[in-house]
Amino acid sequence: MDHLVFFSTLLILLAILLGSGVWIGFSLIALSAIAIEVFAGRAGGAPIATTLWSSSSSWMLSSLPMFIWMGDILFRTRLSEDLFRGLAPLMGRLPGGLLHTNVMGCTIFGSVSGSSVATLTTVAQMTVPELKKRNYPEKMIIGTLAGPATLGLMIPPSIIMVVYGAMTNESIAAISMAGIIPGLVLAAMFTVYVAVTCSFMKDFNPDVEPVTSWREKLSAAQHLIPVIILMVLVLGSMFAGFATATEAAALGVAGALLLACWQGTMTWDTFLESLMSATRTSAMITFILVAGAALALAMGYTGLPQLLAEWVGSLHLSAFGLLMVLLILYTVLGGFLDGISCIALTIPLIEPMVRHAGIDMVWFGIFIVLVVEKAQITPPIGFNLFALQGMTGHNIFKIAAWSFPMYLIMLAMVFVMIAVPELATWLPKQMIPVLPTH
Amino acid sequence: MPSENSMAVTSARAHVMALPLSFQLHAVWRFFDRVYLWCGYLAGFFMVLIFAVTMLQIVGRYVGYNPRGLTDYVGYFMGASAFLAFAHTLNRGAHVRIELFLSMMGQHRHWAEKLSFLLSTLIATWLAYYAWAEVYWSFTLGDISQGMDATPLWLPQLSMAVGLSLMALAVADHGLRLALTGKHGIQTAPEVL
Repeated sequence: MDHLVFFSTLLILLAILLGSGVWIGFSLIALSAIAIEVFAGRAGGAPIATTLWSSSSSWMLSSLPMFIWMGDILFRTRLSEDLFRGLAPLMGRLPGGLLHTNVMGCTIFGSVSGSSVATLTTVAQMTVPELKKRNYPEKMIIGTLAGPATLGLMIPPSIIMVVYGAMTNESIAAISMAGIIPGLVLAAMFTVYVAVTCSFMKDFNPDVEPVTSWREKLSAAQHLIPVIILMVLVLGSMFAGFATATEAAALGVAGALLLACWQGTMTWDTFLESLMSATRTSAMITFILVAGAALALAMGYTGLPQLLAEWVGSLHLSAFGLLMVLLILYTVLGGFLDGISCIALTIPLIEPMVRHAGIDMVWFGIFIVLVVEKAQITPPIGFNLFALQGMTGHNIFKIAAWSFPMYLIMLAMVFVMIAVPELATWLPKQMIPVLPTH
Repeated sequence: MPSENSMAVTSARAHVMALPLSFQLHAVWRFFDRVYLWCGYLAGFFMVLIFAVTMLQIVGRYVGYNPRGLTDYVGYFMGASAFLAFAHTLNRGAHVRIELFLSMMGQHRHWAEKLSFLLSTLIATWLAYYAWAEVYWSFTLGDISQGMDATPLWLPQLSMAVGLSLMALAVADHGLRLALTGKHGIQTAPEVL
């Protein structure tokens, strides 16, 4: 009973802190301090400071700024133009036409970018004006961007997977690999949706793309070579055991810098802009992450997660039942918090429970990414919606309505993942481990 | 109409008298903005170091050059690149907070906002104090890294103490700007993640 009172007090406190606009990192730290000082009756300051230091000064975590920087450099190159020029002749004549360049563009760019919004803005830069020019219905252009852009998070590298890996002490490389197949399945589902709806839509009559010969298609596809090289460099080196996640990320930065120099888009100014923007993004995420680590520490002091795990265990809930409860929890949380904050806030509490239920933590990483990222395209807080609002000027609720079919597809994917867990767990097992350095 | 006239005079006088103080304050604020920025540049420099050392490690593995403790150094650089950028990140509005309820409050928003700055300042100051305590104890007890690098831990931990202190300053600073001018002065344009 005591625990229940305490737990509710913490929840109310958290709601007040977050609701009044206190930064998420500060809110989580305040919560941790109160949990340790008041509930566990111990001194909180010193252990929290130690945790902030140990959780941030980690070699494993340094893949985070590198992946962010890589994406930031690529965002400033002409990669989006190249993607469109390479993909358009290949997809133009399929049912659904150039809308497929949105889905494929996001899939391909997702394999070199760790974030959903970066993927969205990079792909949209090119496809939105081009597709509008060719009379594609706006509702389809925007819907097929908002949903598939979340592939930036599903397909490695993925910033949110790095955060999850750091919080659960699971291998970042393994989680990254686990995202590939589910990401591709999801992309395939989006593609089928686009092809089918467009074939039956009455007001779908965009300009017809010219027929291109195989020779033309191949020569256009040359534009995709740089991005494919980058993909192989980062994912291939990780998979084949040539590089750890951090090293693969650094290779990605090197590749992105080389590409930008080769294209002639790299000036001192763009270099500095990309560096500082990546530094800020990385600091922002690290702040939430270390605050999450402090919360995990505090929860350890209180013994609350263990109790929660035992309580859930006593309910004899099946793994499926537990996942459904978590699905609802994250859908609600996702209405107020971004994905990374959701993970930082909940993992300290639910990790023992999930492990206790015998759920594979690598699989659960992909599940959680999929579940929290659905929220990217639902109001009131959906970062993809805000990004699209900024780019197209449409109201977020309209954009959300247009991307609702994509939301349903992502929801369906959750159940596909539950039905066929091997989608996520098979590939990491095929990985070759990195040889120890020492 | 004498009353109107005298009012105009009073307000003009108030304006003249207020000028030097607000002028000085703006100069101080501009200076603080620059401090956050330069500390941010320092963080960016550590980011470049993460990249450089990691590349060195990859190349080193193939040519048989494996200096000890490189991974530990990358860890310290990671900490430094994050903590030192905290204040700058706050100053540029890149740290996340929930503004949904604030925006729902309409004209009462500024009260909640002031409260949130006050609470954040308290938490940040508390945190900065314990970060310095951490450095102090590492120094006094002579804590040394358990890795191959054998670095005295207070040295890299200094980045945490400096970064968190600067962030406490930044929160207090922007809170004060809000209290005095009605605007917190944080850029609100969100970063492309």
